[in-house]
Amino acid sequence: MVTSNLYFRAPKKALTISGLKFSYQKDASLPVLNDISLSVRAGEIISVLGKSGCGKSTRLNLIAGLMKPIAGEISINHDKSRCNIGYIFQEDALMPWRTVKANLALAQEIGKVPHQQWQVSLMDLLSRFHLSENILEMYPTQLSGGMRQRVSIIQSLLFNPQLLLLDEPFSALDFCTKLRLEGEFYRFIKDTYRAAVLVTHDIEEAIALSDRVIILNNNGTIEADISVTFDYCQRDPESIRGVAEFGEHYRLIWAKLKAVISQ
Amino acid sequence: MKNLNSPRTVAAVQSQRAVTMMLYPVPLIVFLVAWQLYTISDSQRQFIFSSPEKVYSAFTTLIVSGDLVRHSAVTLMEALTGFVLGTTCGAVIGLSLWYSRLVSTVAKPYITALGSIPIFALAPMIIAWFGIGIVSKIALAFLSTVVVAIVQSYQGAMSAEPRFLRLMQVFGASRLQTFRTVILPSSLIWVVNAMKLNIGLALLGAFIGEFISAEQGLGYMIVRASGLYDMATVIAGVFTLVVLALLLTSVVEQIERRLLPWRSN
Repeated sequence: MVTSNLYFRAPKKALTISGLKFSYQKDASLPVLNDISLSVRAGEIISVLGKSGCGKSTRLNLIAGLMKPIAGEISINHDKSRCNIGYIFQEDALMPWRTVKANLALAQEIGKVPHQQWQVSLMDLLSRFHLSENILEMYPTQLSGGMRQRVSIIQSLLFNPQLLLLDEPFSALDFCTKLRLEGEFYRFIKDTYRAAVLVTHDIEEAIALSDRVIILNNNGTIEADISVTFDYCQRDPESIRGVAEFGEHYRLIWAKLKAVISQ
Repeated sequence: MKNLNSPRTVAAVQSQRAVTMMLYPVPLIVFLVAWQLYTISDSQRQFIFSSPEKVYSAFTTLIVSGDLVRHSAVTLMEALTGFVLGTTCGAVIGLSLWYSRLVSTVAKPYITALGSIPIFALAPMIIAWFGIGIVSKIALAFLSTVVVAIVQSYQGAMSAEPRFLRLMQVFGASRLQTFRTVILPSSLIWVVNAMKLNIGLALLGAFIGEFISAEQGLGYMIVRASGLYDMATVIAGVFTLVVLALLLTSVVEQIERRLLPWRSN
């Protein structure tokens, strides 16, 4: 049975992509991505699945402004300047020459986040992601992989982004750390009413975290847009894996993905 | 969290350090003993290779007369000034090249050309322009070090990790902020490496200048002694140069610890 249990539902769109085209070459007649459209609401998490090389990460890079499209439009909260974006990569991007605190202070230095606001947000995020204040004076190399990825997420969140882009952020972590971090991340997105686009190869992760799963076909267009909802009040990425509907979703998504892979 | 401060780890590191400290003088002692044994009963060998005993005696004479300190101070001053100027200018130029791909492309063949000229070939010209005083030796030490610093710091700037640059781009950082936050700190390792290489090169530059034409300095002292077949003084001069190089290297290592504290963590 599939119904909505989202805490936040609003018609307001966080991200809108329309008619997007992208090519690595100057020749616009050979686009890697062609006529892409997508919208993500505030408080919604979307996962993107697809074969390697179908343009999943390229899509995130285009949204983040790291690549320039040859046609089409991307707007975030109706603002085309795209300043309110956080991007979390598979590998953390903590600078080894800065302490954890100095890495997190980039929001103040670059994002011009006022000190008091930064301080309050920092304390809140450290407790949400179960990190102790003691790590602030440490260097990233002194932390475990899971801790570094948590700090990396906090670093992006301190910029107060309305949209978060995640490129396989949990794939390098061990299973237990991954489950815990997924839960922390999910609750943060829902509590704070952000939008998130997650690129992953893991169907379970996609179902556990997302409100919608998008499957891309080999030329980068959307093959399926599947709504993932549960008859379960306290949705949590960890416990949701044991619910019967989880299996239903898994079978449906796997069937679609298999069809794309065999194309 | 990795526990690098556990008593067992600290004790292991300390005992390894003690062993290393004890092993440091061993090759030198073996060399001195072999040298002494080879030359002890042969006056011809002593004339050609000198001996540890004669070198020690030459050292004592040079120290008592004040010549060693005077010549060393001159060479050290020339090398150090050239080193500081060359490394600083080189690092500033190398890092600035990151700002413009066009300028760096245009500058590249000139830097390569400058780097390929043996400093010995430039020495007569520099001495003709700046005279036989310390300025020409500083200029030679500068020229010996500046190219290495340019190449190393430019390489450092260009090899900044793409994930950090991408992060700065996502955060909307300006080019200056990216330079300050990513390029400069990630180039520091390369600049420190340039400093390590440049110590020897600065001493070489100053020494070549003194070797060709000078009135003071270790190069001058060695040339004069070799003209008199005074091998003990020549070797004493060479040892002093080695000591100066080791001294400067340890200073650079201190600077490295200050500039890159995260590496020792």
